[in-house]
Amino acid sequence: MNALEIKNLYKSYSGFKLENLSLTLPSGCILGLIGENGAGKSTTVKLILDMVRKDGGTIKIFGKEGDIRLSKQEIGVVPDEVGIPECLTAAQVGKIMRRSFDNWDSIAYGAFLKKLDIPSGKPFREFSRGMKMKLGIAVAMSHRPKLLILDEATSGLDPVVRDEVLEIFSEFTRDEGHSVLISSHIVSDLEKLCDYIAFLHKGRLLLCEEKDVLTEKYGLLQCAPEELSRLDKSAVKGKRVSPYGVQALVLRDAIPRGMRVSRVSIEELFVFMVKEAG
Amino acid sequence: MKGLLIKDFYMTARYCRAFLLIVAVFIAVSFFGDDNIFFIVYPVMIASVIPMTLISYDERDKWTQYSGTLPYTRAQLVSSKYLIGLIFGSAAFVLSVAASVSRMLANGYFSLTELSVISAVLLVLGLIGPSLILPFAFKYGAEKGRIAFYIMIGIICAAGVLLSGLGFNAVMPESPWAPAVTAAAAVLLYAASWRLSVAFYKKREL
Repeated sequence: MNALEIKNLYKSYSGFKLENLSLTLPSGCILGLIGENGAGKSTTVKLILDMVRKDGGTIKIFGKEGDIRLSKQEIGVVPDEVGIPECLTAAQVGKIMRRSFDNWDSIAYGAFLKKLDIPSGKPFREFSRGMKMKLGIAVAMSHRPKLLILDEATSGLDPVVRDEVLEIFSEFTRDEGHSVLISSHIVSDLEKLCDYIAFLHKGRLLLCEEKDVLTEKYGLLQCAPEELSRLDKSAVKGKRVSPYGVQALVLRDAIPRGMRVSRVSIEELFVFMVKEAG
Repeated sequence: MKGLLIKDFYMTARYCRAFLLIVAVFIAVSFFGDDNIFFIVYPVMIASVIPMTLISYDERDKWTQYSGTLPYTRAQLVSSKYLIGLIFGSAAFVLSVAASVSRMLANGYFSLTELSVISAVLLVLGLIGPSLILPFAFKYGAEKGRIAFYIMIGIICAAGVLLSGLGFNAVMPESPWAPAVTAAAAVLLYAASWRLSVAFYKKREL
């Protein structure tokens, strides 16, 4: 079963449109939604959670479309800004969430607080950004969710905390019934973690593919401009010209044998594609 | 919805402590002091401000958005604020009524008519403010909602002045049922406001 199925999702604001977005997140997988600031990542997350109204399309969560409140019992969300009231302590937050989620696990919450070094008696306002995010993660994970939705959950964190947090997400998906949708503009984080990658640019989906397929399908070609001009145009998906030659993003299968194509990172792939899309 | 109410109790205990202290002082003054109705009415008016204060803090702390990720319906998110208003409003109402009765008894009399008038005034003053401002807050947010509320009050006052200038006069009937009717109208207004806020909030984008 798919944890999430989005078809032709459409949302229009003045000055911004999310156009016919279609995405599928199979159960047990991690899908990384990559896009620059303002690409539509947060809008997509809000649409999934019914925080904003869609203008078209369908969203199915665990195969069902409709009562999002019931689905939210099985979804853990970490938004880019964890909106816990500043005066509350982690212990108070636990008491609030115990009465909010049917499956709230106080023991698991206590263990997360301990593991992530979160003080239970300190008001939220005195937390650093990293600590705030960690408390948001503890809340999102303590009601035994099947789907985690993380919207820029790693941005603004120092490398040590980021690594710690990524490890938690990675551990979460060891259970085959668990899935993660993670949006970020820090591509390197997603490259480590994700099974599927989707690129979003100016409200349009540039691609959605298995990460391994992407790295097999695309490659980087370093050559002279004349060599590039002799190639089939459809094989070249982007290029960067420098005084030392041309670096091009190419489809490996469409390149003549003998030409040396190196591995492309997801970050390079994203940058090439976004520049090409304009 | 219990989680939302607990959260609002924690926040009230932290941010509205001064309100609770003022309520206690005014109740005491109304009991020991003179016959000034202000001291009896003020605690209820203070309590009526609590839901709006909580909405402002929710927006500042981004709870408005965060609560959209939790398993609550929009109706529950709205209802929790109206319930908090009722809980604190009822407590202030009971204290004020008790203080009035005590004052009457201490002065050697008891008047049901006076008590019913005081109760009606308390209900009207306690419910009319949140009934009018909360739908604006749920539609436009705390800050814009407050401005919209002031504009509406301005329009109502201007209309009142205009109507009075045209010779219309509102006369309070002297029927013994007047306090009960007035109180019932205030409660109905609160209920209608609740429904309206739910309708507005269902359409709001978080």
